[in-house]
Amino acid sequence: MPDVALQQELRIIGFLCNWCSYGGADTAGVSRFKQPTDLRIIRVPCSGRVDPLFVVKALLNGADGVLVSGCHPRDCHYSDGNFYARRRLEMLKRLLPFLGIDDRRFHYTWVSASEGARWQETVTNFTKRLHELGPLQLKKEVSS
Amino acid sequence: MRVGVFICHCGNNIAGTVDVAKVAEETRKIPGVAYATTYMYTCSEPGQEEIKEAIKREKLDRIVVAACSPRMHELTFRRTIEKAGLNRYFFEMANIREHVSWIGENRELNTKKAIEAVRMAVAKVMQNKPLYSSSFKINKRVLVIGGGVAGMQAALDCADGGLEVVLVEKSPSVGGMMARLDKTFPTVDCSICILGPKMVDVAQHEKIKLYAFSEIEDIKGYVGNYQIKIKKKATYVDWSKCTGCGACMEKCPSKNAYDAFNFGVAPTRAINIPFPQAIPKKAKIDPKYCRQFTKGKCGVCAKICPTKAINYEMVDEIVTEEVGAIIVATGYSLIDMEKLPEYGGGKYPDVISGIQYERLLNASGPTAGHIVRPSDHEEPKTIVFVSCAGSRDKSIGIPYCSNFCCMYIAKQAILTKDHIPDSQSYVFYMDIRSPGKGYDEFTRRAQEEYGVHYIRGRVSRIYPKGKKMVVRGADTLLGTQVEIEADLVVLGTAVVANSDAAHMAEKLHISYDTSGFYVESHPKLRPVETNTSGVFLAGACQGPKDIPASVGQGSAAASKVQALFSKDMLESDPAIARVNINTCVGCLKCVSTCPFQAIKDKELKDGRVVADVIETVCAGCGVCTSTCPCGAIQLQHFTDNQLLAEVNALCQM
Amino acid sequence: MSIEALKETIGKVLKDVDVVIAYKEGFDALHSTPHFITSPEQIDKMIWNPLCVHNLTTYLPSMKNKKVGVVVKGCDSRTIIQFIQEGLIERGKVVVIGIPCKGVISVAKVLKAIDHKPIENISFSDNGDITITSEGEKKVLSLNDVSPDKCTTCQYPTPLIYDHLIGEEIKTEKPAESVYGDIREFEKLSLEERLKYWQGEFDRCIRCYACRNACPMCVCQDSCIAETRDPHWISQRLNLTEKFMFHMIHALHLAGRCVECGECERVCPMGIPVNKLKRKINLDMKELFDYEPGVKLDEKPPMFVFNVEEAKIKEHKI
Repeated sequence: MPDVALQQELRIIGFLCNWCSYGGADTAGVSRFKQPTDLRIIRVPCSGRVDPLFVVKALLNGADGVLVSGCHPRDCHYSDGNFYARRRLEMLKRLLPFLGIDDRRFHYTWVSASEGARWQETVTNFTKRLHELGPLQLKKEVSS
Repeated sequence: MRVGVFICHCGNNIAGTVDVAKVAEETRKIPGVAYATTYMYTCSEPGQEEIKEAIKREKLDRIVVAACSPRMHELTFRRTIEKAGLNRYFFEMANIREHVSWIGENRELNTKKAIEAVRMAVAKVMQNKPLYSSSFKINKRVLVIGGGVAGMQAALDCADGGLEVVLVEKSPSVGGMMARLDKTFPTVDCSICILGPKMVDVAQHEKIKLYAFSEIEDIKGYVGNYQIKIKKKATYVDWSKCTGCGACMEKCPSKNAYDAFNFGVAPTRAINIPFPQAIPKKAKIDPKYCRQFTKGKCGVCAKICPTKAINYEMVDEIVTEEVGAIIVATGYSLIDMEKLPEYGGGKYPDVISGIQYERLLNASGPTAGHIVRPSDHEEPKTIVFVSCAGSRDKSIGIPYCSNFCCMYIAKQAILTKDHIPDSQSYVFYMDIRSPGKGYDEFTRRAQEEYGVHYIRGRVSRIYPKGKKMVVRGADTLLGTQVEIEADLVVLGTAVVANSDAAHMAEKLHISYDTSGFYVESHPKLRPVETNTSGVFLAGACQGPKDIPASVGQGSAAASKVQALFSKDMLESDPAIARVNINTCVGCLKCVSTCPFQAIKDKELKDGRVVADVIETVCAGCGVCTSTCPCGAIQLQHFTDNQLLAEVNALCQM
Repeated sequence: MSIEALKETIGKVLKDVDVVIAYKEGFDALHSTPHFITSPEQIDKMIWNPLCVHNLTTYLPSMKNKKVGVVVKGCDSRTIIQFIQEGLIERGKVVVIGIPCKGVISVAKVLKAIDHKPIENISFSDNGDITITSEGEKKVLSLNDVSPDKCTTCQYPTPLIYDHLIGEEIKTEKPAESVYGDIREFEKLSLEERLKYWQGEFDRCIRCYACRNACPMCVCQDSCIAETRDPHWISQRLNLTEKFMFHMIHALHLAGRCVECGECERVCPMGIPVNKLKRKINLDMKELFDYEPGVKLDEKPPMFVFNVEEAKIKEHKI
C-alpha cells in the first residue's frame, strides 16, 4: 500500500449496502485494517438500489473506478435486492468494454458485515488494480 | 439553506490521524455551509448541547456530523436535532472514523478524504426533505419458533406478561435437546425433572397456543403485523381424540423405526409417543416404517385404539396466524459422526456421540439407565471421552468452540463412575473450557473426586482390536503417544446449525454467519435483536449455548417483545418508496420487482393507472427506484437526486 | 400475398375493433405513413409494399382503452410479444394481422443509391427488383442492396404472433450467427478504438430524442429522465458527456427489452447507430439468460426477474 499512497490518488467511488458491506467496512475500521485512501463511500440501503446508471454517471463524470458491494446472495436484508443487482451489474460489466471502458474499472462483489478482512482485501486489490490502469479521465476526453 | 457541520475529534480516534481543524476550515468554504466547528466528543451530552445551541444561534436548518459510522450514532444525532426543532431527516453523517482515520496511515490523505466525505454529506443533506413517520397498530401476539428450553422460556415469559403466544415446534413434543439429557451440570440434577414442569406449563398456559409437529411455511408482513403460514404435518392420529394411552405403540408390529428422540440408540415403533413426559403426549405414525403405508395393509393400531383416533388418510394442513413479533429459538444440531472418519464415527457401534451416551445414562432411556456397549450389550469398564470431536477444526469448516462439551463430558464421566463404580474414564481434551459459575470446580471434582483421567491432546485415530476400541492420541503435557484400549468411546461431537437454518433465515429476512448461526444486531449490546425489526433470537440458533445462557436469552427476547408491545402504535420508518403520480406512466415494472409485494396498481380518477406503495409493507430497499425508468417512484432519503448529489460532489472535486 | 386479401381481412377485423392501423402513401413516392382506419371507406387508401417500414405497434400501449387491429411484419410482431410479457397491452384488446415479409427498404440507402435526387415514381416486382424513376430516368435497384441491416440478418420474416396471417409463411434462410456478426466484429477493435468510435458517433447527437420517441419500448413518454429535473440525471447542456449519458440511459432502460425493430436508427437524423448498444446487451442476455426479447409469450424480461443460483454469472475476482 505505501507505494500506492505515494502516487496521485485516484477517484474511486463505492456504493455499499447499509446492512452488509457498509457494516463490513465499519468492521474493517474497528479492526484497524489499513487500506489505501482513494475510495469514497456512498451508503445505499441495498445493492438493489444501485441503478447501473449511477456507475455510468460516475465514470463519465470523472471517476476512475466504481465499486458496488452488497450482501452475499441469499443473505440480503431485503431478501432479493442483491439478486436483481447481480443481473443488472453483470449486464453493465459486459457492456462497458463495448463502449471502450475497461471493465476492470468496475467491480461488484459481496461483503458481509462480519467480513472486515474481506473488505480490506477488496479495497486494497481494487485500488491497486486501478493504479495499474491509471486515470480514466473520461470527463476530459468526453467534454473536449 | 444554512448547513451546520460538526467535526468530531473522537478523542484521538479521529484527530490522531486527521487534521480536524483543516477539515473545518475547508468545510467553511463549501457553498451552503453556514457554520463549521470541531468538538472533542460530539456524541457526548455537552457535544449534543453544542449542536442544539448552534442550531438556534446560527439559525441552522441542516446538520452534518463528521464522526463515526452512522450505524453507530445516526439515531443519536437525529434525536438531537429533532429536540432543537429540526426534522430528523435534515441530518447526514460523514463517517471519518471507521472509513478514514482508523484505516488510513497518511495524515494528509486522511484529511483530504475526510474533507471530501464532509463535502458529500453536505451535498446530500442539501437535497434532503423532511420526512414524517406515520403510526400503525401493533398486533400484540408473538410467534415463538422452536419449543426447546429457550423457546419455552420465551413463550412462558411472554404469556405470563399477558401476551398471546403462538409456539411452533417441528418435532412431536416440546422439550428440545434438554428433554433428552439425563442430568445437567454443574448441579447434576435431573434434567427432565426441572424441564418437565415447564413443559406442562407451556401445555396448560391459557395464553399459549402450541403447534407441535408443525413447521413455518411462510412469513409475510413486517414488525407489528406478520402473517404466518404454519404447516401442521400429518400425524395420522387425530390428536383431539388421542389420549396418549400408548396401546397402539405396544401392539404396533413394525418394531424397527428410527427413533429420532433417542438419536437412534435403539429402535422404536412405527407409531410412537417419543418419550413418557412428551408434551403433547400424543402418538404419531412414521409412514416410512408403518406397514399400512409401506405394505398397504396392517391397521393394527386403528383396531386397538380405544378412541378411534387413527386416520391413515390425514394430510398436511396449513393454518394462518397473525402476530406482531417473532422469537426465533430453533436450536442446534450435532455434526454427523460420519464426518469424523478418523474416529470411526458411524462405522464402529462402540463409538457413540455424547447425546447418545446421555440417552444410555437416562433412566427413561432405551436401556433404562444401564450403560451398555451397543455392540454386545456388555457393561463397559474403560470409557474414553473425546472432546472437540469436530469442534475447533478448521479443516472441516468448524473453527469455533462448541461451548458446552467440556462440561457435559465432565458430567458424563462423573455419572459413569456413579453407574459403574469399578469403571475408569479417560478424557482427551484440547483445553478445558469451564468459565461458568461453579463450572471449574465441577471439572476439578471429576478429576479429583471421581478419578477421571484427563489427557491433554488430540486423538488421532480410533480403531477396533478384538472387542476393544483402541484410542490413539498424543499426551502433549508428557510429550508422548498414548494408546488406551477402551470398551466404549464417547465423542463430544461439534454443535452445528440446523440443516435448514439458512432456509429459515431467508423466510425471516435475517442474516446468518458462515456456519449457519443467526447474526445478532450487535455482538455485545444487542445480543437478542436481529437487524430485522420485530425478529428476536434466543438460544443456540445464534451460536452454541448451554442451558442457563439459553434460558437467559429466552427471557431477554421475551422482555424485548414486551418492550416493543408496551405501546399500542408503532412509528413507521418514513424512508420508504413514494410515487409521483404525475410522472408515473403505469408500466408497473416496480410491482414485479418489489421483494415485498408492497406496490400495487391504482386507478386514478382520470382513468390513468399508476403504481401505489403500501406504506406499512414497504421495507425501503429501493429496488423499485432502480427499476423505474422514469424515476417516478423514489425511495425517500435515498432518492436519485440525493445519490446523484453525492456522485456529483465527488466528481467535481 | 395479395393486397386484396389483406384489405378483405381488415374489412372483417374492422367490424370488431375501434381502429385498424395499417399503411398508406406518404408525402412523397419514397415514404409511407401510418393509416388509422376507423371506417370501411378508408380501407382502399391503404398500401402494402417494401416502403411500409414503420413499426405500427408503437401506438398500442397508448391506445389501451381501445380495441385495435394492427398490421405487423415479422420483426414488428416481436414488439407485441414484448408488450404482453411486460403487461403493457392486453392480448384480448389487440387483433394482429400478420404479413410474412421479404424485406423493406431503407430510405437512407435508396437515397444514397440515387444520389439524393427527387423521386417521381417507385415500383416493386416479385423478384426483389425496385424500379425508381427520378428526374425522368429509370433506375433498377435490388431490394437486398437497399434494405436496412435488420432485414439482411432477419430471423423472423413471419410474425411470431398473429390472429390473421395474410399469405404464405416464409422461413428464413439467413444463418442465426449472422444476427450479431457486426457486434462480434466491433469487439475485435481495441478499447481505445471503441471509445473513439462512440465518442465520434455520440458527438453528432443533437438530442432531438427522435430515437426515443420512435422506440416502441420507451414507455416513459413525457416522463423521460433525459428531460426531468426530479430526478435530474443529466443537464440540458449539449456537451459530449451529457449526450453520452443520454444514450446510456436509453440503452440501459432497454436492457433485455429491445426487440431490435430498428426504429431508433431509422429515425435518427444524424445516422447514429443507436441500436448497436442495445443489440450488444441482447447478445449478452442471450448468453447469460438464454433470453431473446419478444420471442416467447411466457417469458419475462431478464432484468425484472432473477434466479437464486445464476448458472452463467461467475463471481468476479480482483
